[in-house]
Amino acid sequence: MSSPANPYPSSQVLAPNGEASGSKPQPTISKAEQSRQRRAVQEQQRAAKAAAKTAPNVPGPSRPRSGSKLPPAPSTPKKSGAGPSKTQKDSKDAGSLAGDEFTGKSRGLRIFSHFGLPKPVSHVGKGDIHPAIVRLGLQFSEFKISGANARCIATLIAFKTVIQDYITPPNNTLSRHLMTHLSPQITHLVSARPMSVTMGNAIRQLKLEISGSDIDLPEQDAKDVLCHKIDHYIRDRIIIADQVIQEIAGSKIKDGDVILTYARSSVVEKVLLRAFSDEKSFSVIVVDSRPMLEGKKLLSVLSSAGISCSYLLLPAIGSVITEVSTVFVGAHSLHSNGAVFSRAGTALVAMMAKQHSVPVVVCCETYKYSEGVQLDSFTKNELAPSSDLLSSYPLTRPRETLNLKGQPNLEILNPLYDLTPPTSITAVVTEVGVIPPSSISSIPFALGRQTL
Amino acid sequence: MASELNNPSQRLVENLASKLRRRQVVGSRQAALETVLVLRQVVSKARFSKFEQLVEIIRSAGRRLVEAQPKEHSVGNTVRKVLHHIREEYHTATKGRASASTRNAFSISKFVLQGQPRKQNVLTKTDEKGTIKENDPDDPDSFARGLKPVLMEAIQDVLDELETVYDNVSKNARDHIHSDEIILTIGKSKTVEAFLKSAAHHRNYTVIVAETGPSYSGHEMAQSLSSAGISTFLVPDSSIYALMSRVNKVILGAHAVLANGGMFAITGSLLAATAARAHSTPVVVCAGQFKLTPLWNLYHEYGALDFADPSNVLGFEEGGLVDKVDVINPYYDYVHPELVDAFITNDGDHPPSSIYRLIKETYDDEDHDL
Amino acid sequence: MSSVSSSESERSESLQSDTQPGATSSSFDIYATYERFLQNEDISTPLAAILALTELVEKSNAGTMFELVKALNDGAKSLKEGTPNPISLNCGCELFVAFVSLFPHDSDTFSELKTELVKQGRSYAAEALGYRDRIADLSLGFIKDDSILTHSYSRVVMKTLLRAHKQKRISVYVTEARPRGLGFVLNVSSLAAAGIPCTVVLDSAVAYVMDNVDFVLVGSEAVVESGGLINAVGSHQMAIIAKAANKPFYALAESYKFHRLFPLSQYDLPTHNPSILSFPRTGTLSTLSAQPLSSSISQLHEVPTVPSESHSALLVPLSMTPEQIARNPDVDYTRPDLISLVISDVGHLTPEGVSQYLVGMFAG
Repeated sequence: MSSPANPYPSSQVLAPNGEASGSKPQPTISKAEQSRQRRAVQEQQRAAKAAAKTAPNVPGPSRPRSGSKLPPAPSTPKKSGAGPSKTQKDSKDAGSLAGDEFTGKSRGLRIFSHFGLPKPVSHVGKGDIHPAIVRLGLQFSEFKISGANARCIATLIAFKTVIQDYITPPNNTLSRHLMTHLSPQITHLVSARPMSVTMGNAIRQLKLEISGSDIDLPEQDAKDVLCHKIDHYIRDRIIIADQVIQEIAGSKIKDGDVILTYARSSVVEKVLLRAFSDEKSFSVIVVDSRPMLEGKKLLSVLSSAGISCSYLLLPAIGSVITEVSTVFVGAHSLHSNGAVFSRAGTALVAMMAKQHSVPVVVCCETYKYSEGVQLDSFTKNELAPSSDLLSSYPLTRPRETLNLKGQPNLEILNPLYDLTPPTSITAVVTEVGVIPPSSISSIPFALGRQTL
Repeated sequence: MASELNNPSQRLVENLASKLRRRQVVGSRQAALETVLVLRQVVSKARFSKFEQLVEIIRSAGRRLVEAQPKEHSVGNTVRKVLHHIREEYHTATKGRASASTRNAFSISKFVLQGQPRKQNVLTKTDEKGTIKENDPDDPDSFARGLKPVLMEAIQDVLDELETVYDNVSKNARDHIHSDEIILTIGKSKTVEAFLKSAAHHRNYTVIVAETGPSYSGHEMAQSLSSAGISTFLVPDSSIYALMSRVNKVILGAHAVLANGGMFAITGSLLAATAARAHSTPVVVCAGQFKLTPLWNLYHEYGALDFADPSNVLGFEEGGLVDKVDVINPYYDYVHPELVDAFITNDGDHPPSSIYRLIKETYDDEDHDL
Repeated sequence: MSSVSSSESERSESLQSDTQPGATSSSFDIYATYERFLQNEDISTPLAAILALTELVEKSNAGTMFELVKALNDGAKSLKEGTPNPISLNCGCELFVAFVSLFPHDSDTFSELKTELVKQGRSYAAEALGYRDRIADLSLGFIKDDSILTHSYSRVVMKTLLRAHKQKRISVYVTEARPRGLGFVLNVSSLAAAGIPCTVVLDSAVAYVMDNVDFVLVGSEAVVESGGLINAVGSHQMAIIAKAANKPFYALAESYKFHRLFPLSQYDLPTHNPSILSFPRTGTLSTLSAQPLSSSISQLHEVPTVPSESHSALLVPLSMTPEQIARNPDVDYTRPDLISLVISDVGHLTPEGVSQYLVGMFAG
């Protein structure tokens, strides 16, 4: 769905998914040369655009996206010339548009212009990207793997393959060179989708392990050690942590409770299944919303397990919230002020629950903790891909009405995350226990660790 | 009884009632307009010799319409409004004929209800019907004949007011929206649309429209606004809280405004209003006066929220899920008065705390239950 | 009580020399009349006051409106002096006096006027007896199959609950309403007799119970100009807890309980006097003999760990002495922003709507 914006098309081996802009095979040009070319072309286009600007164009962050979706021909004046210019269209447009925006567009558009600029995927990576990583990048960008835990586990497993396939070049040590080998892989993944906090924490831990690996070990042993470490990380920080969370959160579920959950969190799913298998009788209300509509998956899992469920969309939550005993949500990451960064819509659910004195419980492993305070949902966010738009609408809506792309003055924003302030959260369940949100930052000290 | 409807009027009423029942009348303003037209026909064809008979005729017609679609409050409101206007006209026309001893009618309970006795200004309508006599045995229709022209005028007033609702609500739009503001709205409300479009003539601002599943009426709204030249953002409902910190004002439409200052509005309004309250963003509701409903306790009933087709939420394409899962699809939300900062109506701007007074002025107490 | 008539006769002497002395017959004892009316269970304090004042009009020898109003004011004043809690009594008095002074009296002779006034007063009282039923009907729309929390004893609330019980399944929590314990005694017996599931909760357990409750229903002694409520002490507490738990708080009040008062705080109430919430002089503690509480306290101080003693302290019923009770308030003032709706015989009122009626009656 995203087209190559990589100005360095080095091979055409990997077919881009979605509508490519038909990049022709190009000889690998040096980086500096290419960036110079790119800048020159950018200037040209900016000038051309400013001169030719008549009708209000469709600016803003969706431009690269919309441009990448449609075959590049129709909407923008196309650059004649070399292939690189065509594949550079998106980055150019972003640049020229940045220029446009600051020339008198209404304030609203400027405000949202940075809002989670989606990064188009480069399917033709520079350098050699391990095929496992390439596959992973594709899966990320198509949202086949989504969810903080799933992405982290998938990344680590892919890295295990990379490490096993890695051969230390002569005159180098594993501990020093492996990291430089891994960096471009990581960059490739990041270009598919912005890095999640979980991936970041795991990779940081991995780097630590790599730099601490024993120089004297023979290569295979060192690689094995690393793979074991990765396994242990997954096992300790994710799998076992989840089990502890299931127990602790399960104890908060009593017979006759009505549990409300939003979208799909892997942790909450496990908690509910475990509580159900512990012979507790409760019912679940699954609240869901566009753009991802992930709640349906949770709904099918829960109802096939035999739990009685209700399903409704986010706007309807006001009608049922009075009947709810507890709200369980998952998190993408936890911040030091106790705020929870989670799927867009969680903040609304937590706010409504708090209004009606319903406790809000966030189930979150400690490895999701991120330093730093985030104040609102704008600082760091991501926009959903707009390609799969149609499937998330009910079949009862006629398809023609949903095609809103080409409208002037109309922008479509689909932020994927939002920030729930600590005031709306009652408790955070982690593997170290149930903690009030404001005390999160003191946990590492309590445990005698540096980081969580 | 003399208060039976004659057949053509009955047919009209039944026609409208069945359209309402089948929800073929879309939109509260449309329902109000059709109600007024039907009532106009009913009154013009009615035969009555006493005023109470006319009231009973209108009331029974109104009752039938309200029963056909109890969730469409504008129907009942229009009937009450017509009754109120008619009563006013009647009292003006028969001044001086009213019960003589106002003094004896003054009792403690009246004192409580109406306050101190005020000097009655007896307007003598010189050119007017001192000739109107009720219940004239010789000429039973004289009363009706004399009164009807005035009544028709009154009903025409109501009709005119309904037809100019959008213009009047948008009159002061530019005073409410400033340059470079970011407005959030949800769903599709024609009143809000007219309001925003009228403001766009004078101001440059941005609108964020939330899609409001499962009807996704936000799409039409966004299309209409953007084609009017307003820069619009279409966002899913899940991002309302995320974007609220940048929003300057929330403008909502209403389905019905209740007597305590609360309102029924499309699902999702409660979310937007609560999120706005959390960010101290003002919430403004644009509604025509015909949406004022003299009812107090509707919100108590869960069933007061109309429920719509669940297949919009979880369709049959989901297969086996459909019979294992309960799907809830309420059509309206109740937004309580503390969440709303102002109501902009075609009659001016009002805070929620004075809605009960507006209702007292617009409708008569005895009409609350048709 | 005899001071009443004597003060009246005093004042009558100071009146301008008119044809007739403006005193009532010396045997008219307004307070006793008032008490007599109160014997009837259905008549509440304001109504009894109105009826007493009506009798005063009947028996009065006043010759002009001015004298009559003065006599009425004097009568009202003596009534107020007779009771420690004059608020609801005041409502009735002020209403009647305002009515009388605003009554259009152009053409009739004075004695006809008086008869008319007496008739009006009596008919109003008779009519007002039906107000409770009207309020019960109006409240019915707000009650579903709910659990209701109520405070102390109120006839209006009783009527409403009994009426609701006929059509819905309600369950009722009643607070003790110490120190008089009215809620305990009266509510439970009548409610239980009607078959309504009800239970008594401690005054201190209101917050505990609040999440389980659907709404709070209280009666009132008076509804004041600000839209706030004056009711038995504990109502304000309940309103605050209801607000914190997001539950509606409904007050039932007949229209004759609307009062022109505007208390700015609890301490601005007419019932507040310096002895309320004052600290006893230190000597008095020892004089509180025969008090299981104080004796057990002293025991606990002397003998630190004697579990049997402390146990027995709990089993003995704890009660406050009359002096302690006198230091506690009788009624409290609930702020209008805590009240969801006032349901009255004139209709449903938001707290802001109350002042509309008050201004109409008393202003200008």
